[in-house]
Amino acid sequence: MKIKHLVKDTNWQNRVENLGYGYHSENGIPYWIDDYYFSISESFADEIYKATTELWQMCLVAVEHVIENKKYHLFHIPNYFHHHIERSWNNETPSIYGRFDFAYDQVRNQLKMLEFNADTPTSLFECGVVQWHWMQHYFGNSKDQFNSVHEQLVNSWKEIKPYLKGESLHFTCVRESLEDLSNVEYLRDCAIQAGIQTQLLYIDEIGWNGSNFVDLQDQPITDIFKLYPWEWMVNEEYGHHIANDILEAQWIEPSWKMILSNKAILAVLWELYPHHPLLLETYFHDPKNMTSFVKKPLLSREGSNISVISNNKIIESTTGDYGHEGFIYQQLATLIKNHSGYSIIGSWIIGQESCGISFRESDSLITNDRSRFIPHVIE
Amino acid sequence: MKKRSSKAVTLLLITSVLASCNKPKAENEEIAQKVFMRADSTAPYTEVTQNYSEQRNGGSGMGSALLWYMAFRHMGGGLGYASGGLNQKSVVGNNPAKALAYNKAVSRGGFGKTSATTSSNTKAGS
Repeated sequence: MKIKHLVKDTNWQNRVENLGYGYHSENGIPYWIDDYYFSISESFADEIYKATTELWQMCLVAVEHVIENKKYHLFHIPNYFHHHIERSWNNETPSIYGRFDFAYDQVRNQLKMLEFNADTPTSLFECGVVQWHWMQHYFGNSKDQFNSVHEQLVNSWKEIKPYLKGESLHFTCVRESLEDLSNVEYLRDCAIQAGIQTQLLYIDEIGWNGSNFVDLQDQPITDIFKLYPWEWMVNEEYGHHIANDILEAQWIEPSWKMILSNKAILAVLWELYPHHPLLLETYFHDPKNMTSFVKKPLLSREGSNISVISNNKIIESTTGDYGHEGFIYQQLATLIKNHSGYSIIGSWIIGQESCGISFRESDSLITNDRSRFIPHVIE
Repeated sequence: MKKRSSKAVTLLLITSVLASCNKPKAENEEIAQKVFMRADSTAPYTEVTQNYSEQRNGGSGMGSALLWYMAFRHMGGGLGYASGGLNQKSVVGNNPAKALAYNKAVSRGGFGKTSATTSSNTKAGS
């Protein structure tokens, strides 16, 4: 695996904007990298595929373990919501996607799971659409890519369609984020291509009529995809309505994903699969005997409130609003290091299938919302 | 070599409109006009110039895509249209039936507040 450079396309902004990619830069600094890429081997793509598939199965076992043993306190999930999680798990409420983040040690050739963005993962649009068209632009059909995200999304919505309770699938996100809106519109686009009738509304426009949720036309919501974290929803004014909804609307991602999107799952996985080669040693409460580790809040987002400790010294840390629920302590992983920064690998599971990857590059060890998206090809 | 990439990636929705939301404003593209809207012919207008301007310029990230997409909804029952983006007086006018329907038992706004109070720049994805 190595970085390769291309002759810069001076028209790249217009090219990606024509795809609908409006957040390629922030304050003039590109988030999308167009003129260099990761060149990976087919065997490395296979390795990521196998790791993602195996971890997904391990995660499902871990969810079952948490639910059976009612370990919700480790995740700080409100008591009133435990039943909803169990119902969504037992009823097999549909799930569409998730993204594992991996570290890769190039010396030991070792993939390690950093975390699982199981509830509200983004960068789906740039992975499935922009990255694919980028390859067509520069290489035509001469190269390949580990990226069947688009096909898998359409296929997964087709598989989900018979399990929807109503005739219309609603989609919702916050008002102020073009990135979130683009990701939701992309998911909705794929659902339409799968033959599903859809409607979009903002999260604050969701209505409650005293017995069930309704849309802007006051029509019942029976199935809804939300790009809005469960841990926020259950602590907001309408949180209790989710549990009291007489229509028992199907929320996608389902509420059992609260278990997987919480970093407590990293410690649970280490308990269930100690010394598994894809896992990093992780504990609740304290770092045990580790001298190099990362302290992560259970519910942190976009790299907030993270501390990186190497040989018992803090070498990096970030601030933010998280950490009230507690922390986990995860062994410090070795990241991909190049002249342009540190990179991690995002690996998508859509439906039940590992189907695509992306690279995110940062100037520091902690990945955040300014980390650059780097495309890849298999060659 | 096993082909791993999608064979084709085509989109149906409004992606090109979404992209236009983030384009920087040209220097001579200042908006001189004021924009007013109302949702009922018996109602006074509400000035929405600021909203319109922000959407044209990329502003807070929202775009014109959604302005046309859902700004006005049909209320049914011969009551005409309504928009949550307008002051209520510009929606219901002097039609008491419409005012009643607009304010009926459905409540909204019970989700979404956390995104406005975190440091994650209002984005909810991760």
